[in-house]
Amino acid sequence: MRNFNTGKENTWCPGCGNFGILATVKKAINSLTDGGIPLEDIVITCGIGCHGKIFDYLNISGIYGLHGRALATAEGIKLANPRLKVISFGGDGDSMGEGLEHTLFAAKRNIDLTLILHNNGNYGLTTGQASPLSKIGFKGLSTPQGNIERPFHPVNLLMEAGASFVARGYSAKMEHLQQLIIKGVQHKGFSFIEVLQPCVSYNNTYELYNAHCQILDTIPPDEETARALAKDEEHIYLGIFKQEERKEYCDLLMA
Amino acid sequence: MEKVYNIIVGGKAGEGVKKAAQVIAHIAMAAGKYVFQNDDYQSLIKGGHNFSLVSISDNPIYNSYFKVDIIISFDDRSIRTHRDKLLPGGLHFVNQDDAASKDEHMISLPLSSLMKKLYSNPANVSLAATGIFAALTGISQAELEAIVRKEYRNNTEENLRFAIAIYDLCITQKHEFALKLNYAKGAIGTFHSGNQLIALGALAQGLTHYFSYPMTPASSILHYLALKKESHKVYAVHAESELAAANMAIGAAFAGARTAVGSSGGGFALMQEAFSFAGMAEAPLLCFLSSRPGPATGVSTYTAQEDLFFALNQGHGIFPRIVASPDSFERAYSLSAELMELAWEYQSPAILLTEKHLSECSANIDLTSIALPKPFEQPSESEAVYKRYAITESGISPLKFPGKGNCSPDDVIKWCSHEHLETGVRTDEPDAMIAMKDKRLCKGQSLIEGTKKYQRVAFYGTEGPLVFAYGSTALELRELMKYYPLRLVVPIYLEPFPYDELAWYRGQEAIVVEHAAQPHFAEFLRQKLGIISRGNILRYDGRSWDTFELLNVIEELQDA
Ligand SMILES: Cc1ncc(C[n+]2csc(CCOP(=O)(O)OP(=O)(O)O)c2C)c(N)n1
Ligand code: SF4
Repeated sequence: MRNFNTGKENTWCPGCGNFGILATVKKAINSLTDGGIPLEDIVITCGIGCHGKIFDYLNISGIYGLHGRALATAEGIKLANPRLKVISFGGDGDSMGEGLEHTLFAAKRNIDLTLILHNNGNYGLTTGQASPLSKIGFKGLSTPQGNIERPFHPVNLLMEAGASFVARGYSAKMEHLQQLIIKGVQHKGFSFIEVLQPCVSYNNTYELYNAHCQILDTIPPDEETARALAKDEEHIYLGIFKQEERKEYCDLLMA
Repeated sequence: MEKVYNIIVGGKAGEGVKKAAQVIAHIAMAAGKYVFQNDDYQSLIKGGHNFSLVSISDNPIYNSYFKVDIIISFDDRSIRTHRDKLLPGGLHFVNQDDAASKDEHMISLPLSSLMKKLYSNPANVSLAATGIFAALTGISQAELEAIVRKEYRNNTEENLRFAIAIYDLCITQKHEFALKLNYAKGAIGTFHSGNQLIALGALAQGLTHYFSYPMTPASSILHYLALKKESHKVYAVHAESELAAANMAIGAAFAGARTAVGSSGGGFALMQEAFSFAGMAEAPLLCFLSSRPGPATGVSTYTAQEDLFFALNQGHGIFPRIVASPDSFERAYSLSAELMELAWEYQSPAILLTEKHLSECSANIDLTSIALPKPFEQPSESEAVYKRYAITESGISPLKFPGKGNCSPDDVIKWCSHEHLETGVRTDEPDAMIAMKDKRLCKGQSLIEGTKKYQRVAFYGTEGPLVFAYGSTALELRELMKYYPLRLVVPIYLEPFPYDELAWYRGQEAIVVEHAAQPHFAEFLRQKLGIISRGNILRYDGRSWDTFELLNVIEELQDA
């Protein structure tokens, strides 16, 4: 088992959900390489935010890109060398705000990449402003009176945009998340994995998630059911909401 | 002096005006002539007024003439717009079915009615221009048939009947036209627009991925490359935005692909952050910036040189970059290739700055006579562990590509938009920051040496007033130099600036010609060389110069 350490000092807040994601990603990559994917074929990109620091904590090739643009960068990599397995890490401000266009278009194209969305419901690195996924009423530096904008439902948004693999995990349910990441990377087409990631400093959601998260036993039979399950607030469902075979962008382009 | 024959073809958008002009140019080219085509069109799809100028000569032509020997007007608006441009003894052919303003000197042809008679589904009258031109220049009917078959692929039988009917009409009318063509003579070079040459230059140097979002006048690079997918193994990707295009290009370069992006000013305004990213990550990002009048949306289908300082200052922060502007069709090809090579050798962003005039004018170019750069040598690695940003004497770190031949399984290749250590891992330590900034600046010094392999300044003419220009303005000036001597100095490389080559001109007086509302290029020359402008010739109506009009302006300045 490789530890992928770079020696870079970790500067996430103690207790941050990102630790769980980092440890899980390491395990997932280890099982992917054990399963026969050469490590040198795995490449990462990330946006800017607390999530992006994962780049420094993984001794794996890749690009530490621009805020919001990591997925576009990842698409360029994939187009230049379709053999590479590209995993992109985004924040909810990053991939659902600044760079939403790239997220939707990568899904539309069904390009064979995996986006891991660190959903902490706020802009962590810039000290807790509301994000496109913040709940109504969220109080942050830019919304001291409470967020007045309705958040996106990322799972539903991405299903509609055309992602062929859509899943949700939780940073504290590491074994489950590990399987989602493995399946997402193995899936041929665009894989979107929303990871619920508590931010202990600005949006501590551990209690909420621990009380309400529930793992789906099976993939919902159709998108309508999937959408209803994804929006359920009583139970926060984790698992794969959609997995379908659809022609992949690079294959189509290079046919 | 060899005569230059000039023709205007005018009509509505969607009528095939540009195509008609192109066919005329192709016919003249096949007869061994040099041609130059300049299209004036509006940002609309149907209607309005479009016209094209075709010039034909036994010598290379660098620019258009707005006083012409032949006018072919497909509608009344064309008659009204161009009637004053006919030279004495010239011929103005009009479509008598749409010619309210015609006079007795004009030659009437029943274009629309004939078309209605001959076609089950009337198409574009502009095909008539081929028949008219063939009749005037002594092309045989058999040759005309071959031309129509080759140039107009749909409705061939109807097209042939129509073109021949027009041809016969013109033959019986017995018009006098001095230019006679030997169609079988054989063409000099191939017919290309500036944008096609930019694309071909990059392809010659290994371009495999082009990322772009449509914006006139750069769009035709995207369109042209999209057609070259099979023949040249190149992928032209229409991205969701310019931001996407530039970030994709950086990703593709990371994986070892030679890439480029292209747009006009507005699109590059959106790419600024990615341009800086390329500077920081040391990504070879080749950019084609084709200017149109600004600011903002500006005027999309006309020419301007307003983006000089914008190109020079593209992106935020301090980092080495290359900016160069082609002064001719040949240079569009060679410079695109050079910049690709320099971008990769020095792992830096490079901008080929051009403008609508060169991007979209066409001429015959002999590509085989143009020297292309030799592939540079990759610096060899010295250290056991690969470091993406290894500090070296030249400032250039060795490049490796994930999953490619030169890469071992243990190599970790990290590109970084944040300030970083040699490994590509982020840092904010003061010493490490200085070390990496100095490395990039040192690379900038090496880059200056690197550009010296190529022609950085073009000098035309040995006597007459000293004139400075850049980009396609040099073409306009070179055409008038057939009639009036100038010492024309054209910096091709604008950054790094070729101080050494231009040292002799320091502090001299010169005329400065540019397509801008304020003398930015003159200001640039003052800053770089202390050039004292004794006259700024500015044009900012989006139009290119008529050769003789520009000549008059220069003469007046000389006499003043
Ligand atoms: C173009 C640009 N705008 C703004 C910023 C500043 N910035 C850095 S991170 C960030 C938001 C981070 O939020 P998110 O993407 O949710 O990531 P998190 O920190 O929560 O992981 C912003 C606005 C930037 N780096 N670049
Ligand atoms: S601010 Fe939030 S997201 Fe960022 S490191 Fe701290 S806990 Fe994690």
